[in-house]
Amino acid sequence: MCDAKARPDMQPVYPKAGSYPDFADLVDDSRAQVDRRVFIDRAIYEAELRQIFGRAWLFLAHESQIPNPGDFVRTYMGEDDVIVVRQRNGRIGAYLNSCPHRGNRVCMVDSGKKARGFICNYHGWSFGIDGRLNGTDGKVYDKDPGFQKSEIGLTPVAQVASYQGLVFGTFDPEAPSLEEYFGPFTWYLDVMLDNDEGGTEFIGGCVKSTVECNWKFPAENFVGDILHAFWTHQSGAEAILGGAVDLGSRYDERAFQASVYGHGIETNLDKVGNTRTLGFPELNDYVLGRYEAVKARLGEVRARMVGAVSSCTVFPNFSFLPGQATFRVWHPKGPDRIDLYTWTLVNRNMPERIKELYRKGTMITFSPGGVFEMDDGENWEYCTKANQGWVTRHQKLHYGLGQDSGWAESSLPGHIHRGSLNDANQRQFYRRWAEFMRFDSWGDLQRAETAPPAKPMTRAAE
Amino acid sequence: MTDTTLIRLCDAADLAEGEVLKIEIDGRKPLAATLVDGVVHVFDDTCPHAEESLSKGWVEDGRVVCPVHFAEFDLADGSVHNAPAGCGKLRAYAAELRDGAVFASLG
Repeated sequence: MCDAKARPDMQPVYPKAGSYPDFADLVDDSRAQVDRRVFIDRAIYEAELRQIFGRAWLFLAHESQIPNPGDFVRTYMGEDDVIVVRQRNGRIGAYLNSCPHRGNRVCMVDSGKKARGFICNYHGWSFGIDGRLNGTDGKVYDKDPGFQKSEIGLTPVAQVASYQGLVFGTFDPEAPSLEEYFGPFTWYLDVMLDNDEGGTEFIGGCVKSTVECNWKFPAENFVGDILHAFWTHQSGAEAILGGAVDLGSRYDERAFQASVYGHGIETNLDKVGNTRTLGFPELNDYVLGRYEAVKARLGEVRARMVGAVSSCTVFPNFSFLPGQATFRVWHPKGPDRIDLYTWTLVNRNMPERIKELYRKGTMITFSPGGVFEMDDGENWEYCTKANQGWVTRHQKLHYGLGQDSGWAESSLPGHIHRGSLNDANQRQFYRRWAEFMRFDSWGDLQRAETAPPAKPMTRAAE
Repeated sequence: MTDTTLIRLCDAADLAEGEVLKIEIDGRKPLAATLVDGVVHVFDDTCPHAEESLSKGWVEDGRVVCPVHFAEFDLADGSVHNAPAGCGKLRAYAAELRDGAVFASLG
């Protein structure tokens, strides 16, 4: 090393995707089956980090968390530790939380206000909130003739963009724009993000916990599994509601699942079903009371979704429940563990009392000690652990519910299936997973089967 | 201060409120000057901690902040706050605006 001729090349490296057709084939479209190895296998997990978390748009933060220059939060993209920080020009930057010298973390805390920069504990390398190296120890490096300070910095996340206050990032410089990544799924995201002119905010901080499960179990649960509620959450629902899980009136006519590029939402249109599970009658009245205003803004279908029995996943690992207002990321930590980050999202213009009821409601239901979170977590842990059995892992899993429920004539955006008690969105989720495994280019990814069918957006959908 | 002779450092117009200007004079270590609420402050440009240039830093609440390890120096007397280990006081100089120029007593 002491005779090395070239200077260190410190340009950011954004790993290229590959192609894993053998892994893609583990999702059997024709039979609606998924191979259990996708939940337990280390090689498949490493391929996910490369193919999915290395290039998909991943949720980073809500703009309301970092309103001023220097405000920051720390999060993960896949297993990569990332700092998300508001710049002096108002834009949002995101950088790997790892010093280019020896790799140490440069930011130790979860979040903060008005940071001046980030100093590595190890040798004092100091980075601005724009990620650039401002200086080192100040006495040794600056006298070293070969040291190129200006070429060194924290590796920036390749692209950062916001949609309706939610900030996302991708490590792939060639990824399409965030809006293109969502496609017409934004129509559904707006149910929560744009039902009031004042926009939204996160309240009450970030609640973090660990679940010993594969990240795809919670992601597929939120993308389209309301079915489990009737069994998993029945006793919890009875405790809070004094009655059984109820999907609401005119279910057969109104409930559906919608999917675009593997993002999915399942919903009935009962206006207030999930909000009821928070246990505050005042909150139900509030949601019902806003119905006409939301209808005027978003149309009837979406106005009915705001508080409804409904759940959503943005591929790959960002999920929310409209009615309960819990938003969350399932951060992968190996094939058999996740770190779960959750927030409560409300409209900025809601009365403080209503915001507080949402915050308390999410704590009662979907915090680590929440009734429904505990119900779910245990199931996902045993799904993961049981699949590890040598013989067990060779048995295929059944994703066949509602194979004949396609609703091609629906004018709603995306792939639509009738009814919410359906594996349709989960099949779409794994189809998208397989597309990410198979294709190494965004051109192929965005033209693949999960791409939205061409439909004119008509007022009928409203 | 043994020598109270005022030395002309630059035009007053070279200074901007809250920004730190580096001033090089032959034969001595660089100086820095800034303007806070119309009052001029002159001090050593080199941070006493790790030899970084304070002109790359900024002024906040009456203190100049080193951009590298974030030591804060009181503009009135050079006293150090939020000091990294081993960081001493900054030398500050008596200074004034006169006839459209910045003068300081460098001692």
